Amino acid sequence: MTLLAVDGLRRSFGSLVAVDGVSFEIEAGEIVGMIGPNGAGKTTTFNCILSVIDSDAGTVSFDGADVTGGPPHALARRGLVRTFQQTRELETLTVADNMLLAAPEHPGERAWHAVGRTSTSAQREAAARERAMELLEVFDIAGMVEEYAGNLSGGQRKLLELARSLMLDPKLLLLDEPFAGVNPSLTNEIVGHIEALNDDGMTLLIIEHELETLTDLVDRLIVLADGQVLATGPPAAIMENEEVIDAYLGG
Amino acid sequence: MSDGASRFEEFPVDAVHVGLTLFVLAVLFLYSPLFVQPPGGTFTVLEVVVLFLLYAMILVGLNLQFGHAGLVNFGPVAFFAVGGYTAAMLTANEPFRAVGLGYPWPVGLLAAILVAAALGVLLGISTLRLRDDFLAIVTLAVAEIIHGLLETQSDITGGSLGLNNVPRPIAGTTTAGDGAVLVSTIIVFGALALLFYGVFRRLSASPYGRVLRAIRADEQVTETLGKRVFRYKLAVFVYGAAVAGLAGALLVFYNGAAAPGFFTINVTVIVWIGMLIGGAGSDRGVLGGLAIIMSFQLFTRFLNDQIPFVTQDQFASIRLVLIGLLLMVIVKYRPEGIWGDADELGVES
Repeated sequence: MTLLAVDGLRRSFGSLVAVDGVSFEIEAGEIVGMIGPNGAGKTTTFNCILSVIDSDAGTVSFDGADVTGGPPHALARRGLVRTFQQTRELETLTVADNMLLAAPEHPGERAWHAVGRTSTSAQREAAARERAMELLEVFDIAGMVEEYAGNLSGGQRKLLELARSLMLDPKLLLLDEPFAGVNPSLTNEIVGHIEALNDDGMTLLIIEHELETLTDLVDRLIVLADGQVLATGPPAAIMENEEVIDAYLGG
Repeated sequence: MSDGASRFEEFPVDAVHVGLTLFVLAVLFLYSPLFVQPPGGTFTVLEVVVLFLLYAMILVGLNLQFGHAGLVNFGPVAFFAVGGYTAAMLTANEPFRAVGLGYPWPVGLLAAILVAAALGVLLGISTLRLRDDFLAIVTLAVAEIIHGLLETQSDITGGSLGLNNVPRPIAGTTTAGDGAVLVSTIIVFGALALLFYGVFRRLSASPYGRVLRAIRADEQVTETLGKRVFRYKLAVFVYGAAVAGLAGALLVFYNGAAAPGFFTINVTVIVWIGMLIGGAGSDRGVLGGLAIIMSFQLFTRFLNDQIPFVTQDQFASIRLVLIGLLLMVIVKYRPEGIWGDADELGVES
């Protein structure tokens, strides 16, 4: 089943065409890597898919529905969740609040329930807290739960961001450079988490600048260059592809 | 326990319950033949208490907007003024050279809330999608424009003289004189202020408040986590506007008049300074800050008599300088305010 279909996505900034007719599909259950040299349009493609920025042309459909230009919060609720290249923890919130914030469909986030202190809100909060603690245990940061996120180390922030996005029970998780600035042992840890999530049936699309980590991890690679899809296929075939080698060496 | 609840220790009793109970008792008290006659020398203090309670209502809304959601609203007085004048114009009986429709006061009260909220919606929809600093500029400008209109549109608003002959519902319940009216007013306004504090406190201490603090930290991330950021911003903007509008109506019904002098930029300055001194985001701290700044003003008003060779004008300027200095000291040495949380506000102290 096709989970995400991107067709003819275009976006330019002034005279610079950052994304120039990108089309690809992601099947449910896949781990797909998106690679390309700096400035190839990877993050802009992400931003267009999630309509963080408007695209000039093209359509995005997710889980059978056209979600082109839909508000970002609606995409998150449908199960299309992303992380950011630079980790963006809500630094002035505690680790616990970062996690609980992401809990979907929380009645306590509506004014009436908040002022009325309803029991449905309290129950949802308790369930969300339980789920949050489970995830924090899995990611080995449960000890930091009452700490402000601003006081975490870089690696802990990466793990928190991943854990937080899982609070939304995503169908498709988009990871923007999850290994950037991460030491080798933490890289292995994150790879382990990604594989475990995929084994549980989650679909993942991972942007990465470096090829090495991805080749063993992903089922398929999409190579972007100059805002276009240059090649797509299994990692072994991509590594042999002349055009890809040229783009990387030339770029 | 949610983080919001453990961070501030809660009142042993719930402010919403106490506020409601007190309000019912206050109304019973008004309709009883009982009254309290305060000692003669306390009138000035009691009048400041009345203003404090009204400003506190504005401040609980402003603190939800800025302290929690990070919205820089530099024009809370606009909603206060619009509420006050809406109430005055709807209820005044033949005011001198101004619109006075003579409706009963509950109509004026309700309309004040609705019109102030409507202004909040209008302003919110047009500016909340813009960057923070635009909101600051627009709210400041709108407050000044409204103040200007109140002074210049004298056929409607009575100009700089304002409107008189506005009903005084609380004063009408007793014949025991101004002192008894002051005490009754304080009891009623105090109950309402406590009630609004309690309601806004429940908002800020709940998952709702958590979304607001997330918006303050990073709007885009909050949106990608599935929250309707714009809706939250608009809601807290309108809640604050509605309560400020109500406070404006209460002020004109207390005074029996409306005048531009009640609704100057000073109101905005006082509530902002109170919030920053007390600690933005600390629901009780901001009220403490407001109490400090208003006590300072009250105290220094009497002080003028004790200092020779300083004229009243000079002394007024000195007071402003001192308030400015206090604010500078706070911002420099304790940017989170007296009761604020530096981690939560993301400041280094």
